[in-house]
Amino acid sequence: MLKPDRSELDYLELLRKAKRLPPPTGQRLKLALLGDVSTQHLVPLLRALFASNGVEAEVYEAGFDTVELEALDPASGLYAFGADVVAILQSSVKLKSIYFASQGDRSGFAHERATRVEEVWKAIRARSGAHIVQSTFVLPYERPFGNYGAEVPDTVVGMVSEVNREICLRARENPGVLINDLDYLAAWVGRRHFIDEKLWTLSKSLCALELLPDVAQNIVDIALAARGRVAKCVILDLDNTLWGGVVGDDGLEGIELGENDESGAFRSFQLFLRELSRRGIILAVCSKNEDAVARRVFREHPGMVLREEDIAVFVANWEDKATNIRRIRDKLNIGLDSMVFLDDNPFERNLVRQMVPEVIVPELPEDPGLFVRAISELNLFEAASRSALDAQRGALYRDQEKREAERSRFENLDEYLKSLETMARVARFEQPDLPRISQLLQRSNQFNLTTRRYSEAECAGMMRDLENCFPFSITVRDRFGDFGLINVVILRRAGSALEVDTFLMSCRVLQRGVEQLAMNKVFELARRSGCEAVLGRYIPSAKNAMVKDFYQRFGFHQVATTPGAEGTAWRLDVDEYVPREVHIGEVAAFDRGGP
Amino acid sequence: MTNAEVHEKLTGVFRSVFDDPELTIGETTTAKDVRGWDSIAHVSLIVAVEKAFRVRFTTKEVQALANVGDFIRLIERRLK
Repeated sequence: MLKPDRSELDYLELLRKAKRLPPPTGQRLKLALLGDVSTQHLVPLLRALFASNGVEAEVYEAGFDTVELEALDPASGLYAFGADVVAILQSSVKLKSIYFASQGDRSGFAHERATRVEEVWKAIRARSGAHIVQSTFVLPYERPFGNYGAEVPDTVVGMVSEVNREICLRARENPGVLINDLDYLAAWVGRRHFIDEKLWTLSKSLCALELLPDVAQNIVDIALAARGRVAKCVILDLDNTLWGGVVGDDGLEGIELGENDESGAFRSFQLFLRELSRRGIILAVCSKNEDAVARRVFREHPGMVLREEDIAVFVANWEDKATNIRRIRDKLNIGLDSMVFLDDNPFERNLVRQMVPEVIVPELPEDPGLFVRAISELNLFEAASRSALDAQRGALYRDQEKREAERSRFENLDEYLKSLETMARVARFEQPDLPRISQLLQRSNQFNLTTRRYSEAECAGMMRDLENCFPFSITVRDRFGDFGLINVVILRRAGSALEVDTFLMSCRVLQRGVEQLAMNKVFELARRSGCEAVLGRYIPSAKNAMVKDFYQRFGFHQVATTPGAEGTAWRLDVDEYVPREVHIGEVAAFDRGGP
Repeated sequence: MTNAEVHEKLTGVFRSVFDDPELTIGETTTAKDVRGWDSIAHVSLIVAVEKAFRVRFTTKEVQALANVGDFIRLIERRLK
């Protein structure tokens, strides 16, 4: 993910780029385009934008206006293609013409149209594990009643916005469906610029040509988020970023904040950051300051919206920011490419861009009143799922800080682990856990043996396959707090052996004995289901080198791989496995209500 | 803007749209003479010409274009 600004989104420039794509990096994505608009103009733009994110996109274009046909026909090109992502693009033109043609009572119109859209999703999800990216309809500009139309129940604008609302509500209920909010995009650039009647007549183009790159970027953002490429952390500068002035020079009372912040710019910015934090984005501080001076603002300034407890990692010192950002990364154990660095100072931004190029460093305008606008324009915080755990994430990292403080009191690791009083719940996949399980499958990169990205629907399928599939998850807590569901293992029967299809863990719980507990469970299950051996596989990716010796550490023997299979294959007889000692108590169930 | 100036500027737009710095066009050049000039590129071309000359064409005018000569005359008419 690399998005310093939107200058990349030039139509002709992208067309040129599409002709000279960089060599493939190995990351591929199959994208199907369905729509009642022409999609030819979008294809090169999508390919170019995916490529600049290191993804080679293969695109399937269904025929013009064949959304329902493709979705409902099991033998359609869509299913033969085997898409990872299906983007459905719909124009208000067709919707309007159906509306105008309908006579009599139109009160059920929006409901009925949304139901048709939902049926398409259901048909696709029944036959494929692809994510569906459904566009909203762009609100038309015509107003037969003028402003008064807002009070009239039966207008074309009212109908379209009702259809949009219904679609969004239904997307919540349909796993794997993500909304591509074209109406937001059109409103942002102005509908009068977005809607292009001439291009519609000439080529059934969704919008003005120069805005197609924005549409393509939106699809790319969503598809990458579905893949787990999302921003997870915002690293904040303090002076002139969170407040005006320099606290070291101006003092606690002298900084521009609260009553001294006439425009309210810094307060608005902090409110925006707090919303990000509430939705699971981790906030960290990286500031050139005396630690005590910087923290004092958080503790004592009445104008502060963010409090110390909103900040997962607080780094205030005089070292260079690149070094400090790496330090924050090590604490949080997340990829540099999932970190966004916000600093008002162009020198610091450039330094970080040079020294840690993976980090996303957006340009910030000089006027702090425009910070939120600049960040919103880049759409840096796309998400593909939401779980209760997200909102707790900041707290998780703060608990971690406390654990580390505790750790320094113990001489040996075993003593320390025992003192944590860790409890685990091991459970076969269950419906309430599926959103979090599929989120981990989509996101986890480092401690992930095979990086197989199963969707929620596929997980549900495994859950029901009692005969051949043994998928389980582990949820962990200790006396400092909750980790939530952090381990996923999928086992499949393979003849007289049990094969580990997937083994992944959140990096938050390394060296706690969770993987040992999970492996003990694997062999317990193998024994109980009458299997002789457990088979493992390690498929290397750009990020999972930390588990390349995983099976070896558990005593597995490497075996020859079948031709065409990826990675290395491992095997260990059930009788040969020595169960590992773990300092984790087991419970049948945690209360699902709490964190 | 003289006819030669329009021709020169239009050549620049063609070169940019078709991504060919050597491309030359004449009065009688049609879509089949230029590699890549299909219905999709045609739309890009029209948008690029409108932007470069700061003019707007009607849908009908665009649909009636048969060759580069038509294009130049249409631009000249709009520039008046």
